[in-house]
Amino acid sequence: MLSHATARDWLIPYADGMLAADERRRIDGHITGCRACAAELREVRELNLLLVTLPPAPASSVAPFWLRLQAVLPQRRTLRIPTFIGYRRVGLAFAVASVAVLSAAASAFAAPSALPDNPLYSVKLFEEDVHLALTPVNDRLTVQLQLAGERLREAQAMAANHKPRLAESSLRAYTIIVDDAAVSLKSRATPQATKDALHSLRAKLGAVEHENATRDDDVAAVKQLVAAAVDELDRIEQQESATAPTLTVGEQAAPDPTPVVTPKPTPRATPTDDGDHHEHHG
Amino acid sequence: MARADDAPSIEGDAEERRLIDRSAAGDQEAFRQLVIRHHRLVINVAFRALGELSLAEDVAQEVFLKVYKALPGYRHEKPFKHWLHRVAANAVTDALRRRRPIVSLDAMEQPPASRESDPMDVATRHDLQKAVRQAIASLPSHYRDTIALQAFGELSYEEIAKTLDVPLGTVMSRLNGAKRLLRERLGDLVHGEEANTA
Repeated sequence: MLSHATARDWLIPYADGMLAADERRRIDGHITGCRACAAELREVRELNLLLVTLPPAPASSVAPFWLRLQAVLPQRRTLRIPTFIGYRRVGLAFAVASVAVLSAAASAFAAPSALPDNPLYSVKLFEEDVHLALTPVNDRLTVQLQLAGERLREAQAMAANHKPRLAESSLRAYTIIVDDAAVSLKSRATPQATKDALHSLRAKLGAVEHENATRDDDVAAVKQLVAAAVDELDRIEQQESATAPTLTVGEQAAPDPTPVVTPKPTPRATPTDDGDHHEHHG
Repeated sequence: MARADDAPSIEGDAEERRLIDRSAAGDQEAFRQLVIRHHRLVINVAFRALGELSLAEDVAQEVFLKVYKALPGYRHEKPFKHWLHRVAANAVTDALRRRRPIVSLDAMEQPPASRESDPMDVATRHDLQKAVRQAIASLPSHYRDTIALQAFGELSYEEIAKTLDVPLGTVMSRLNGAKRLLRERLGDLVHGEEANTA
């Protein structure tokens, strides 16, 4: 037999539908003969009604909301380089000219090998950004791969120095570079060069993981980031091999003016991410 | 109260993870995508708590700003949505407490639903809602945070437990305590039915 005190304790989960069937039956049985609990249950239900009838927000647009939010977001460094057209190119040229003296002076001190715990690291990153921005489109992939390798070198060094947060930061920056370079990698005219690049990055990721694992402070977050980065390389390689043209090195110096269409299936095991993300309005 | 459409797919998880990592590294375009995904959720939580769209948008901005700043420290062990709910619940309860002493007439300015023809009903309902919000704001913090997730976030007991990282029994106990206090503080507002039926 359910005591009055226990029944009272269970009234709120009962009203919220949180009790199992047998518990509900016991409460039902108690309420039938207990006017106080029946009255209290009515109050609980009325309170619930008040709580659940708080209305949702009227429709509001996300675009102006984002603009206001963006205006107050702190700037974090990112390697995403916008497409330079028109005034952006002029602005960049002006900016480069303005800081040229400072940059040159700082470059004298900022060794290209500066690590994330070095005070001059930000100068190094700035130089890299400028370098990448000024690199012709055709050569950009080469620079991106160099920078990706450099981030991994930093991550390995930071893991070795028991600085896992800095290692994570470098790994995240690496992820962005590879993400940006993925399309170029997949469509590269020389598949072997892509394979070599991926192999090299994989080896460096392995070195980061090894360094992380041999430290006493083997950090799960670093491990996760490395695993995700390896998965991403696998994905790039799979898609690259599925779409790569079957060229033989040295066989063809120029495109055939009258290409023969070869009926060839272009298997796509998974849909590719074209950046057009669906919107979810929770 | 959990909504089935909230269940993320595996692909959705992977995409969200990518957006989170990129946002953490400073990619504002990725963060914009995250905001688009969760804007409605946060606005709804804030609006249910505050009753004014402009205030709700201010608090939602505060929530996303906190999230953006904290993202570099975010670990994927906990679903992003749970974390977001927690940040949102904290922000709205803080906002509720900040404006509690102010008797605002703005809350009465919500556009009335078209199906309601009686202005007295609308006014009474808005008074009730305002009283509920103020009563929630007056609760001790552990009760307030828990009931906020249920009333403003529309989370189930299980979701609240996951969001706050506490056992289910703790959620039950806190909601019990919170609702007992709310009934006391709302007084006649939750005794009306009894009076009517007595």
